[in-house]
Amino acid sequence: MAASIRLLARRIVRDAFRTINSSVSVRIVSSSCPSNLSACRCFSDGAADKSTHFGFETVSEGEKAERVYKVFESVAQKYDVMNDAMSLGVHRLWKDMLLHVMNPQPGIRLLDVAGGTGDISFRFLNYVRSQQERVARRTARANQTPSWQEISTSYMTPTEEIEMETEARESRAVVCDINKEMLKVGKQKAESMGVSSGLSWVVGDAEELPFDDDQFDVYTIAFGIRNVTHIDLALQEAVRVLKPGGRFMCLEFSKVTNPLLARLYDAYSFQMIPVLGEVIAGDWKSYQYLVESIRKFPDQETFKQMIEDAGLFSVRYHNLTGGVVALHSGFKL
Amino acid sequence: MAALLRGLRVGRALRGFGSVVFPKTSSPQCNGLRRGFHCAALRLQEDKDKSIPVPPSSTTTYHEHYQAHPFKNNTATYTQEAPAPEADAKEAPQPNTSYADQSGEQGEEYETEEQLQAHILNAALDFVQLHGWTLEAISAGAETLGLSAASSGMFQNGAGDLVLHFIAQCNAQLTEQMAEQHNQVQLGQAEPKKTAEFLRDAVETRLRMLTPYMDNWPQAMSILLLPHNIPDSLKHLSTLVDDIWYYAGDRSTDVSRPSQPKYPSPNVFLTPVHQAPHTIRPASAKLNWYTKRAALTGIYNTTELVMIQDSSEDFQDTWNFLENRIQDIVNMAGAAKQAASTGEAVAQGLLGAAVTLKNLTGINQRR
Repeated sequence: MAASIRLLARRIVRDAFRTINSSVSVRIVSSSCPSNLSACRCFSDGAADKSTHFGFETVSEGEKAERVYKVFESVAQKYDVMNDAMSLGVHRLWKDMLLHVMNPQPGIRLLDVAGGTGDISFRFLNYVRSQQERVARRTARANQTPSWQEISTSYMTPTEEIEMETEARESRAVVCDINKEMLKVGKQKAESMGVSSGLSWVVGDAEELPFDDDQFDVYTIAFGIRNVTHIDLALQEAVRVLKPGGRFMCLEFSKVTNPLLARLYDAYSFQMIPVLGEVIAGDWKSYQYLVESIRKFPDQETFKQMIEDAGLFSVRYHNLTGGVVALHSGFKL
Repeated sequence: MAALLRGLRVGRALRGFGSVVFPKTSSPQCNGLRRGFHCAALRLQEDKDKSIPVPPSSTTTYHEHYQAHPFKNNTATYTQEAPAPEADAKEAPQPNTSYADQSGEQGEEYETEEQLQAHILNAALDFVQLHGWTLEAISAGAETLGLSAASSGMFQNGAGDLVLHFIAQCNAQLTEQMAEQHNQVQLGQAEPKKTAEFLRDAVETRLRMLTPYMDNWPQAMSILLLPHNIPDSLKHLSTLVDDIWYYAGDRSTDVSRPSQPKYPSPNVFLTPVHQAPHTIRPASAKLNWYTKRAALTGIYNTTELVMIQDSSEDFQDTWNFLENRIQDIVNMAGAAKQAASTGEAVAQGLLGAAVTLKNLTGINQRR
């Protein structure tokens, strides 16, 4: 009797381990192979395959993730060049504006989702570094005539403590993207620029981030959220990984307010951009998708509503270039 | 059997202790998602509830009941706040984006967000000596509350928000003190001060609130002078001066009122000998209202400037300067009154001389 009970117990334990292992392996597989993930999601959705938009086409949700992946896989090498050509260099100003509004203090942890080639992260590290230099310069100027108190405290505290303090305030940026090709291009850029410390590259899906709760001070997603299949899931994940008091910032193409400008913008988008795509990158369809996906994205007020529904407070947006791009910001309070 | 009864009694006592311990450990237990905000707000509630005195009473059941009450309060507020953020949160009137909402839930949430901002700014005041009136001070303040440093982005005006909040706080404190003094006078517990003395005390009290931040106050003043901050800083200054005059006894609002109130009298700087109510015309009463406030504004600003570069013991030079300026105003008011009455006397004398001349030349005679 005891023996059979022991056998039963062993079988139960083995089954439990097997299910745990299988779920872990599914997670590992899904985080490393996004195409498999889309297949898994199809399976989990069951028979009813919900449809969504891919540009002006209608596709199933599983298919959308796969096709977006293929789009960015093919444009990865020429991504930065095409950005400059399509926006006539203005995208740099938009990204600078994002950093200016963010105004990061030293020691902040940034999560750059859909960061791809790392534009935002590089700017973030530069900004924080220049701020630290400015503070150092200011303290050096102040220390030129130190008071008696300052001299005595500098003798009393060991130098290691001061060094440790400055190290603890180092800011870190994590670039997260679902697409390995984009991350590869980003890593090459980092190496060529000589940026190494404070930067890490992680493969992950915006709807299911591979991070713990309450990890980051700032979450940014620049020109990536319109490619996400379930925007509300991405917003919920953002709320999850942000620390209390953390900031969510989203830079995205949006509705142009001025009707004349809207007409010019539409003409430029549909006539010029796919042509540029074909000429420079040899890929008409990806840039056709890009332009169409912009039209499918909700406008400023609707997106602001979605952000508030996800649980963020103090949500505001700024229109850049007359509404071509909108910068939304919200706080997790 | 006796042992059983004893055990029951011990068990009841332990349960009582359990409920004493329980509220303390459960209130910090906050949902991971919205920890900071709720914890900040809960701390507010806890502070309010801690003021309920726990009686040193005897029976465990009474103790249980009393401890259960604040615990229930906490859960009540917690569950009340949990659905509020889930509801569609439309924000308070802010410059470019939001639209007002009429629902009661929204009203409560708005207040808590404003309160949270006020909390952060209060915490930031501790860091002003270290970082100055800057966003770094606000970030440091937010960090002490358990929020990330990035939450300083909530304050679009940055350091201006901090300075304006501090000024509003100081003005509110001063108004409270003046109201308290006024109450005491009404109750007859204190003597009413003379106007000049009252003004001097009010300005001194208000300026003494700046002493902890004196090293960085020039920076704060320069922030207040930035063009986008000028409307707000002027508004604060004008309400301050208005409040001080109100509590100094100036109740003049209507210029055409025929009867003069007994207390206060319209021209409060003069002794009753010089007052001549029937000669004060309505236009000059209004001018008087503006003159008083302009005078006090001038006194306040100049005294503040003197205080910044004052290095004497306990700012004694500043208070001497203040005393002298107020004395100047008193003298000037007296001199103006005297000039007016002299002018009238001269005018009457000339009129009399003219009538005498007419009599002498015979123009006035009836033919």
